[in-house]
Amino acid sequence: MPAEALSFRERAQLVIQREVGRLLSPLWVPLVVATMRFGMGWRIEGLAEARRAYRELWRGSPHGVIVCANHLTMVDSFVIAWALAPPWWYVLHYRSLQWNTPEQENFARTFGMRAAIYVAKCIPVRRGGDRREVGRVLARITWLLSRGEAGLMFPEGGRSRSGRVDAGASTYGVGRIVRALPGLRVLCVYLRGDGQETWSDAPAPGERFRVRVEPLEPKSDHGGLRGSLEVSRQILAKLGEMEREHFDARR
Amino acid sequence: MERKEIFEKVVKILTPHVKNQAALASVSDSTHILDDLKVNSARLVDVVLAFEDEFDIEIPDEDVDSVNTVGDCVRLVAEKLG
Repeated sequence: MPAEALSFRERAQLVIQREVGRLLSPLWVPLVVATMRFGMGWRIEGLAEARRAYRELWRGSPHGVIVCANHLTMVDSFVIAWALAPPWWYVLHYRSLQWNTPEQENFARTFGMRAAIYVAKCIPVRRGGDRREVGRVLARITWLLSRGEAGLMFPEGGRSRSGRVDAGASTYGVGRIVRALPGLRVLCVYLRGDGQETWSDAPAPGERFRVRVEPLEPKSDHGGLRGSLEVSRQILAKLGEMEREHFDARR
Repeated sequence: MERKEIFEKVVKILTPHVKNQAALASVSDSTHILDDLKVNSARLVDVVLAFEDEFDIEIPDEDVDSVNTVGDCVRLVAEKLG
């Protein structure tokens, strides 16, 4: 579904959601980061380089940025956001805080959870659910990015069940968004904790993450679904390459 | 191409991806691909690409959103074949 197919009501809902989150951001953004930093005792190595790259890409992009990352835990989007900019940056440049699409069953079970993810720029999706509903979520993200917002997607479509990037994953959502928005900047992010052998619900307390970032300009000469899939696979191939570099550097 | 022929080819393409083989015995237009046949949603893309190859058609990725049942697949292919 093309982004322009969103109804006025849907667009208004997204604008309201954004504004509610923005107004509350001086409270919730530092709180989330403080919880990760001091509550969980997590650390990120490579923070300065990642933040510099994100700022540069952000400033040079009038059409928004999409962050594409590997996926190991249910809280990756929070850790990645923290890796890419400090809390004050997001409060001042709220558009640069990434929208993301958490699994509905994990994050939207209770009213409290739904309220929290509403504020935190999330649009829940039921993976493997009705294709029209999934398509509407993609259309919402596409529309937001077309307005200069940032988004975060996991091109594998779920947490890496093998613990490694699945370069053959047949997801097309990221590719569809990238192809729909010429000029959209793509930033590949590889994040992994030293203690993360495979996927899990959450990283262990005291985890030390390492982050790598690389801009990418994926392209495809194909049209339709094949083109979207090819773009998604180029992004996955880059994440796989970054994963190899991660492990090579640790030998 | 006859609708029946499209239906048979669609089912043949779906078959390798079906986890609930018992459901194939009573497959019909209303059979849900993900819920009844238990095809992995990630594999749905491969299925649609196989339709493109088999029927020599191009399917816009937005059209994948309308594919939920076997009947949806048949209708989509028939539309593209004109």
